[in-house]
Amino acid sequence: MSNSVISVISRFLEEYTSTTPTKLKVVDSYLLYILLTGALQFLYCLLVGTFPFNSFLSGFISCVGSFILAVCLRIQINPQNKGDFLSISPERAFADFLFAHTVLHLVVMNFIG
Amino acid sequence: MASQSIKTQALTPSHHLSLSDVARLQSLLSQPFTDLESAYYSVVGLTKLGAVIPDQNEVCHFLKSELDPASVDSLFFAVETSQAISGCEIPVSNETRDILLAAVSEDSTMGQIHRAVSALGSLGLPLASQEVIGALTARIEKEDNVMAITSALLAASRLSQQAELGGILEEIEDLTARLDDLGGMYLQFEEGLEATAMFVTAAYSLSDHVGVEPPLKEDQVIQLVNSIFSKKSWDSLAEAFSVASAAAALSSNQFHVPVVVRTHGPATVSHSQPTLQLLVTDVMSQPLTSANVLVESANAASSKSSILSQAPFTLNDGIFEFNFMSSQPASGYYQFTIAVTGDKRLVANQVELKVKVSTEVAVTNMDLSVVDKDQSIGTKTTRVDYPSKAKSSFVADSHQYFAMAFQLVDVNTGVELTPHQTFVRLHNQKTGQEVVFVAEPDSKNLYKFELDTAERKSEFDTISGTYSLCLIVGDATLENPILWNVADVVLKFVDEEAPATIQPKTLYVPKPEIQHLFREPEKKPPTVVSNAFTALVLFPFLLLLILWFKLGANISNFRLSPSTVLFHVGHAAMLGLMYVYWTHLDMFQTLKYLAIIGGVTFLAGNRMLAQKAVKRCVSR
Repeated sequence: MSNSVISVISRFLEEYTSTTPTKLKVVDSYLLYILLTGALQFLYCLLVGTFPFNSFLSGFISCVGSFILAVCLRIQINPQNKGDFLSISPERAFADFLFAHTVLHLVVMNFIG
Repeated sequence: MASQSIKTQALTPSHHLSLSDVARLQSLLSQPFTDLESAYYSVVGLTKLGAVIPDQNEVCHFLKSELDPASVDSLFFAVETSQAISGCEIPVSNETRDILLAAVSEDSTMGQIHRAVSALGSLGLPLASQEVIGALTARIEKEDNVMAITSALLAASRLSQQAELGGILEEIEDLTARLDDLGGMYLQFEEGLEATAMFVTAAYSLSDHVGVEPPLKEDQVIQLVNSIFSKKSWDSLAEAFSVASAAAALSSNQFHVPVVVRTHGPATVSHSQPTLQLLVTDVMSQPLTSANVLVESANAASSKSSILSQAPFTLNDGIFEFNFMSSQPASGYYQFTIAVTGDKRLVANQVELKVKVSTEVAVTNMDLSVVDKDQSIGTKTTRVDYPSKAKSSFVADSHQYFAMAFQLVDVNTGVELTPHQTFVRLHNQKTGQEVVFVAEPDSKNLYKFELDTAERKSEFDTISGTYSLCLIVGDATLENPILWNVADVVLKFVDEEAPATIQPKTLYVPKPEIQHLFREPEKKPPTVVSNAFTALVLFPFLLLLILWFKLGANISNFRLSPSTVLFHVGHAAMLGLMYVYWTHLDMFQTLKYLAIIGGVTFLAGNRMLAQKAVKRCVSR
């Protein structure tokens, strides 16, 4: 049982490193960074309690929001998905990404207290 | 007197001039005067109250010396005052007469017209009534206030009875409509007491002169009485004079004489004081000796049963008396309806009165006994007579109970009574503890009290000892409340606790101070932990940079064009704005700056990305 899991994971990693374009790997490392940051914030909250709650929420929502927007960007610039996003060029996706981030950071900064 | 089939709650005067008020008014009016106006108010006012004017020759001399024959006011005061004292004649010349006649025109003020007409009338000089009426009517159009119209009414009452005074008479009704109703109790002008009192004087003066009843309803008359006589000290001679004039008008006019019915002493009758005494007077406390006073009905307040009907009072030395005890009423409260008849002018002549009949109580058949609970031993009953005390004390322990039976009777009639307060009080002489019980009558009005030692031990705090037993009897209708130490009772309780001295209740000592608890700040984690985590959170960023470096991400494609530079600068500025927003700004300011920076960044970025897109399509 554990053998097959390990073999699945190693196969996955092999495929990933060989077939994924560099641009997408850049975005993926960004996603990992966001994930780790969010997880650390959550761990801190579990350890010391929720005071001040609004700050925790804004930090966590920022991580979650950034993660979601980066995933959207990754989907839209993936050349394999070109057929689904005919009207949206990679530049347009990036511009949308920046605009959505502006709005997200405005809200987060308002809420951080 | 026609008996009223419908019993309406008519208004009765709540204020009038008592004898002391009349005396106070007289002393105010008797103050020495220094000018003609004060002389007029004093002398004429005192005359209206029926007082005698002292030193009449001196007054006459004063009037003649102070008189200014060229002034209408001076003539009015002097002439009117001279009419009030005997043997005083103000000499009058032709010029005086002409001055007075000239004042009677529609160009003079209403006050002037009134004073001239009165002076002319008092001096016996001829006057054309029709001319005066014309001047008054014309003047009423111009001077519409209350005092002016009151002066017009007073002037009209000095004219010939054959003159056409109907128009002026109608002004009474108009003025009545202008009175302010306060709570249904008072009716007065907003101009004040003097205006209201002078209006009453003038209205009755003119009505009497013409012989027409003034259009005032009975309730309105009483409300006017309340307003005028509610003030018991007066600010000026003019105000005192107006009250005296109103009092005289209301006690002696031809149409409405308000009646004031007061009890002489408390409204209580008993065997020692069997007569109910009433003072029936007018508003000036002058007794109406010609009136007939009778009890129209007397009902018991609780049962509403009728005791009396149409029973007359007898007049005895100015006081109306009625022997109520001769009807042998039971003790209690009675509602009397009293009617004053004999003169059809009387107003508010039906009065409701609450009369109390009190009596004396006696305690009879007081039997004390100690009863065994299982009734194996026969009970021994001791009779005690009021006011002596039982010779031996009674002992009751937990197997027995103490019983008391007695009757309360009316001394005079022998009827059994149930007073409001029948208490049995047990007082521990050593500890000062006191317990009070209520004795209840049974259906035959026999009072019984039982003290079960075992049941009642909690009231006594199970303290055994000698208790003195007192009977307390009281009621509002009893003249002799009873506090009788009947016997001593020794109570033995089981499970006795150590007797605690009775503490007076600490209700009024300062209470412990409440310390205000400020809101505790939330527990924060130690600074070490927060700092550690802050560093930890920055660690993934380091990881990101390492990964990007390993992947070979670089900025070698960076074209140094104005739009690119502008875009990056603008973007950095937006991030900086976010930080400044967190530290200094509010949302509105931020949005303002964001609009500017964002706009620039958007345009630059748009251009930059378009260039990139073109490059991408070309390289394809």
